[in-house]
Order: sequence, then C-alpha cells, then structure tokens
Amino acid sequence: MKDEKLFDAYLESTLAAEERTAFEERLEQDEAFRLAFEQHCDLLSDLVLLQKRLVIKEQVKASRMRVMPAKTEARTVFYLRTASVAAATAFVAVMSTILILSKGGYLLTSRSNQITELNRKVGELRASNEGIVEGITRSKKRTYAPANLEASAFALNNQGYILTSYHAVKSADSIYVRNSLLEPTAAEVVYTDATIDLAILKLKNDSVITTWRVPYGVRSTAPEIGEKVFTLGYPRNDMVYGEGSLSSLSGYGNDTAMYQISIPVNPGNSGGPLLDEYGQVIGVIRGKESSAEGTGFAVKMVNILSSVEKNGNDTLKLDLLKGSPKKSQIRQIRRPDQIKKINPYVFNVLVYKKD
Amino acid sequence: MRKSASYTDEELIEAMRRGDSWALDTVYKRHFGLVQKFIVNNSGTREEAQDIYQEAVIVLYEKVNDAGFTLECAIATFLYSVSRRLWLKHLRDEGRKGLIREEHDAMSEDAGAIAEQYVEEESRLQKMEEGMRLLGEPCATLLNDYYAKSMSMEAIAEKFGYTNADNAKNQKYKCLQRLKKIMIGAGT
Repeated sequence: MKDEKLFDAYLESTLAAEERTAFEERLEQDEAFRLAFEQHCDLLSDLVLLQKRLVIKEQVKASRMRVMPAKTEARTVFYLRTASVAAATAFVAVMSTILILSKGGYLLTSRSNQITELNRKVGELRASNEGIVEGITRSKKRTYAPANLEASAFALNNQGYILTSYHAVKSADSIYVRNSLLEPTAAEVVYTDATIDLAILKLKNDSVITTWRVPYGVRSTAPEIGEKVFTLGYPRNDMVYGEGSLSSLSGYGNDTAMYQISIPVNPGNSGGPLLDEYGQVIGVIRGKESSAEGTGFAVKMVNILSSVEKNGNDTLKLDLLKGSPKKSQIRQIRRPDQIKKINPYVFNVLVYKKD
Repeated sequence: MRKSASYTDEELIEAMRRGDSWALDTVYKRHFGLVQKFIVNNSGTREEAQDIYQEAVIVLYEKVNDAGFTLECAIATFLYSVSRRLWLKHLRDEGRKGLIREEHDAMSEDAGAIAEQYVEEESRLQKMEEGMRLLGEPCATLLNDYYAKSMSMEAIAEKFGYTNADNAKNQKYKCLQRLKKIMIGAGT
C-alpha cells in the first residue's frame, strides 16, 4: 500500500524536491519498482479513459436514437427493462425498510392524515391570497385568461411529452402550458394512470419543440433515503425552487409508489419534477400531508415508466424515452446553473373548465 | 434558422466541442448514407452498417472532445476511413472475405490508425469495466470520483460518510489494491 501512496504523490506532484529525485532514481535502478509504477499508471489511465468513453458512448447512442428512429424500438425496450429492474430494486429496498420499521412498531400507528392535492384551486386561493401573491407578481403582465386550476409540469424529452399530475388535468376542457420562455401553448392528454396520479401531455404544436434540448435524464438506479433532492414548480406565476431530502421510500399511507420528501410544497407544485443533486429526475411532485407542514410526496419515476410499459400504446412507449439524455448533462454544475438549464422545461399548467 | 446542410465541418466540430447535441445529430445524420453504401456493397446488412457507423461516430466524437486533437481531413473522410477499417476487421474476424469496393475517393491513414488504436483500447477497457463491476460499490464509485472526476478527498469523505479525508484515502488505497488484484487475475 505504501508504494501506491508514493505513486499518487509523485503523479500529483506533491513530493518534495529531494523525494522526487529519490523516486526517479529508484525508478531507474529498481526494475520491480518501475514495473509496478508502470502498471499503476496504465491502470489509472485506463480507468479514466473508460469513464470518459462511457460518457461519449452514451451521448453518441442518444444521438443515434434521435436521428435513426428505425433502430429505436430495441433500445426503448432496453431502457424500459432497465427501469423495471430499478423498480424491482426499489421494491426490495422498500420492502426491507418496511420490515425493519415494522419491527420497531412504527407502522402500527394508524394514519388518518389526508393527502392534500396541490393544484392551485385558483378560485379559492386567489380570493384569500390575492393581496400577497398577486401583489408580488403584478409587475408581470398576464396575457392569458385566469385558469380554473393551475399546476406544474415538466418535459420528459425532446419529443414534446410533458408529465404532470392526473388530479390537476382530469375533467379539463382545455389545457395550456406556459413558462417564462413559452407563451401559453395548447396541450392534450395522451395518457393517464389515476392509480399513480399520472397524466402525460403532448403539445399540439410541434414547431415549439424543435429547439428543445432537455438537459436532464431519468435516473436508472434506486434513490436512497437521505439524498438531497430539489424541485421546481409554479405555486404562483413565477417559478419557485424548493430543496430538501428524500425522507422515505414510501409515501402517504405507506404507498410504495411514492417517496416522502422534506420539501415544503405548496398548492401549484403538483406535477413538478423531483430531481436528485445531479439533476436526474426521480419523481413527480404529488401532494403534501395536510397535517404535516414541510412534508411532501412524489410519485416514483420507476412506477411511471412501468405504468407506461404495461398500459401505454406503442407510439408512446417508443417516444417516451427518445431524445432525452440517459445521463443528466447537468451533473457537475452549480445548482443555479442547473436551474437555468432546467427552467425552459418546467411549466405552469393552466387548466380551463367549462362550468 | 439555417438549414443543417449549410453548416461547415469546422462549425460542426466547434459546436460538438461545446457539447451541442444538435451538432452531433447533424454529423450523425449527414454521413450515414456513405458508410451504409460501403458496408452494404461489401456484404453487410443495414443493421451492421448502423452498428459500425455508431462506433465510428464514437471514435470521432471522442477525438473531437480531446483538446489536443485536430482533424486533418474532412469529417466524411474520417468517418469513412474509420468505418472501413472497423468493417474490414469485422469481416476478417468472421472469416468473411472478398474484394473491397470503395465508395469514397479520399481515405485517411491517420483515421485508420486511430480506429486500430480504438479497437485495441476497447478490448482492454472491456476487461476494466468487468473488473470495476467485480470490484463493486462503494469502491468503484470511490475510485471514479477520485481519479476520473478529480474530486477532492474531503468531498469524497463527506459523500461516502467517512469521518475524515485520511480515512477515505486509506479506503481508496484498499479499493485500488483490490482492483489491481482483480485485473491481474483477469490476465492483464
């Protein structure tokens, strides 16, 4: 082990001048030492090359999927299969947590808390909050009619598919999405799964998405309790950032399709993305516990993917993971820069109803 | 917006260096026809052409991202030469042979040599990937964080929950020794 420390110190130029000279002399005189050093260097350079090349390969494969649609079928199936493996891993993780918790008796307490669904019921909320919320955002000119209900949503890929909460868009007559860069644009519901509160929207106008380059990907490994997570959403007209930790691998009522998070979510946050610290999507904000402030719930991305895999039509299955990077492209940058890159792909959903 | 066909090689390489995935897509689309024609006319299928071409784009994209590299020929010539070398090797490995019908008049010796080097590296890296898999977690991530991502020992200690940087460092050396043992066992 001592030699390896010496090798690293030499390579990182942290040796003192005389130690350095001694090291170089030993390289010349001690054949075994020289071989071990060369082996060390070869191993490390391969290690680095491998990591670099894996990233390059991912990017090129993603490009192939975008430009050669004929070959995407097998790949999409592969991704969805990876997702189910991740789902299975998450399931095992959840089950073992439950076993441990049950021994402690924590799950024996009955929980009657109701989950609060977090759409902005504009009628009610505006009336009470108008003074505060509208006062803050008045300077921004609204160019669209007030909606009956508002929520958040985010793009999953460059194909114009947008994830949001089912409870927000059910019984809608028309749905629009907007953000600071996008004027309200009509969207239609292409898939719903009420059991996991999922709705997938698609923009009606394809020209909007030609410039889309979604910078985040869906995380393929199971997240762990204690990880830092964050969300972006539209509890009011401007985007709002919230951060916290992953508190539990199950959600309200021990629902294993959800995570519990320590992010204070507000009405309107529903449908926003839940991202890990590397900017990979792990869930969709669902709601909060009405009796516990500062606690939120998010539907797991793995459950969303397996729902689509099971019940979605073929076009949706093929399109869903096409054109989004498998690895997040915003892993290594500061949070404010991550947000800047994500910002164009998080939306305020405007839901209009006739009655 | 300009038509994608109007971008020059230099502009595309510049944009690929910046990480613009649109430039990569444009390059990917632009030269597939040429390589497909070569492979299909030399006893390959469209699927084989797609796979070989993907490797060639990986070789190009890796080189473009390498700061010390300058492309000495047209992108078309580079991709053609790399694909050609990879395809000939594939035919040789499978014991298939025949006359080679060229589809592009320019060829780059450099690109051919780069392709050879890539194939050689790939066989080593496959063993390394398997070695890292056998090494398992947290060792694999720890070594990657330190050596490939150049994370500081302090940051690693915090990420993995070691009490201090020295403990993380000791752990790292243990991981490295285990990896070396695995790789020697794998015959490298």
